Amino acid sequence: MSQAIVTTALSKVYREGKIEVTALASIDVALMEGEVVGLFGPSGSGKTTLLSILGCILRPTSGSLGIYGHETSILSEKDLPDIRRRFISFIFQGFNLFPALTAYENVILGLKMKGITGSDATQRATRIMAEVGLADRMKFLPRDLSGGQRQRVAVARALAADSPIILADEPTGNLDHSNGRKVMELLREMASSQQRCVIVATHDNRIEDLFDRVLYMEDGSILREKRG
Amino acid sequence: MFYVALRILLYDKIRSLITLLGVVFAVGLIFNQLGIFLGLMETSSVIIDHTPGDIWVTSKNSKNFDFSQPFPEYIYNQTIADPEILSAEKLIVAWGIIRQKEGGTEQVEVVGFNPDTGVGGPWDMLAGDTRYLKNGNFAIVDESAMKRLGKIQVGEYRDVLFHRLQIVGISRGVKSFTTAPILFTSFELAQRLVTYMGSDSTVFVVAKIKPGASVDQVIARLQQRLKGVDVFTAADFSMKTRKYWAIETGVGFSFMLTIVISFLVGMLIVGQTIYNSTMEHIKEFGTLKALGASNSDIYRIIFSQAIINAMLGYIFSLIITVSTVKLYEAGGMVMVVRGWVNFLVLGLTLLMCLGAAFVSVRRIKSIDPAILFRG
Repeated sequence: MSQAIVTTALSKVYREGKIEVTALASIDVALMEGEVVGLFGPSGSGKTTLLSILGCILRPTSGSLGIYGHETSILSEKDLPDIRRRFISFIFQGFNLFPALTAYENVILGLKMKGITGSDATQRATRIMAEVGLADRMKFLPRDLSGGQRQRVAVARALAADSPIILADEPTGNLDHSNGRKVMELLREMASSQQRCVIVATHDNRIEDLFDRVLYMEDGSILREKRG
Repeated sequence: MFYVALRILLYDKIRSLITLLGVVFAVGLIFNQLGIFLGLMETSSVIIDHTPGDIWVTSKNSKNFDFSQPFPEYIYNQTIADPEILSAEKLIVAWGIIRQKEGGTEQVEVVGFNPDTGVGGPWDMLAGDTRYLKNGNFAIVDESAMKRLGKIQVGEYRDVLFHRLQIVGISRGVKSFTTAPILFTSFELAQRLVTYMGSDSTVFVVAKIKPGASVDQVIARLQQRLKGVDVFTAADFSMKTRKYWAIETGVGFSFMLTIVISFLVGMLIVGQTIYNSTMEHIKEFGTLKALGASNSDIYRIIFSQAIINAMLGYIFSLIITVSTVKLYEAGGMVMVVRGWVNFLVLGLTLLMCLGAAFVSVRRIKSIDPAILFRG
């Protein structure tokens, strides 16, 4: 297994006037291909900040972040969309699907953002929708789907582009236990079979057993680590 | 991206309909104000524009067609003496009074011209002929005058400036900016009717130059030779007349102000709805950015929404405007709807809607990634 993400002394400090708040304090971590990693910790522990920085949608204050060998801390703001396009997909607690587009069109739009269009996009979208069990719901608008189905669409959107890194923020947060577990199992199964690096920030202890490795965070630091 | 924009608009049907109505209202008002203003401007110089002549000689400091002062007829002789003048005609435009059938009077604009050449006379006759004006107390009225003068038929008599004139023709398309009815007579009759002018005066000399001659050179020569008058090209005199009515009366400012207000109202309506829609979809747009979309990818969706609103609003407004032209005509007004006006309004509409979208674009630029992580 090769390294997908490597961070060295990664930190994030928010400044409000003269007040400084340390959201992340010197994080050193290496995340591997094919690994499903859980980020656990209470609210305000820095999980979301770490996920945002790993996803290149937030810049660290200091430290380095390597994604498949690309040192992102030296890249300009303009170059980051390209890194996200090539390497990263997201799954959010609130699904963030376009309500005006069907489930299938949401996946297609996600692919388009990754530069995948035409018959390649339609084939991928059709295949992935079938794989997440929504072949018969492709033409449904998000409002006509259950919470679990909507999250599966978000998973399909994240997986369709074959991004090697999947970052998920509380993907089970809006789902009941049964649906939440199903979504996580689906994510785990598809990720590990395709050697993706999956990082999931969550409060949900009931899915802890589904991770290869769990990182416990508090006050912006990784306190301890547990391998599954 | 255009497809996504269209789907968002179709999904938010009520909001899209309100936006569309706002655009139709704003653009319709722009069409309407611009069309009526241009109609008034065309009306103000309609006789100049329809008179076959390259050069207009007017009294000194004449501001417009309707209020020019008389000058001696010898100016006509001096004009026609220029070696590069092919022909010239005298023209009288003066104010008079017509007695109404049922009593009372109405002000009219008397235009006296040479019925043999027709220069300065009506160009579109509904009944009669301009040549009937020769050798007698005869007049032609425009059909638009009937609103003010009542029904007039060929053959009937009317008292104009205390002279009994027989109506020998009805013209079409001759209106004045002042809304006063226009009455055509022969040049000689006009001289007799308008007593303050005297029998050896004219108000305009309209001249044609010889083929191959330079208008500018002829004008320069005439300006040097003719004393106490101004000399213009027909286009310049037409523009001078239009500018007088547009600027000096404040009419132009008033119309332009309405156009600017309509533009701003439209911009506010479109801007507000697109901004609201953007804010409602801010998480989705943020997600697209997280997936690798550049700002410009998302701008395309927002600008596409603006363009769709603009085009639909424009098309509906154009249909409404075109279908109301006849209504304006029936009300005695001219509304100009032409290709270049349509393109101008299309440009204004696009500018209005794209300008309105800029507020949303600025919001996209500064999306806080934290919003993506809020459930």
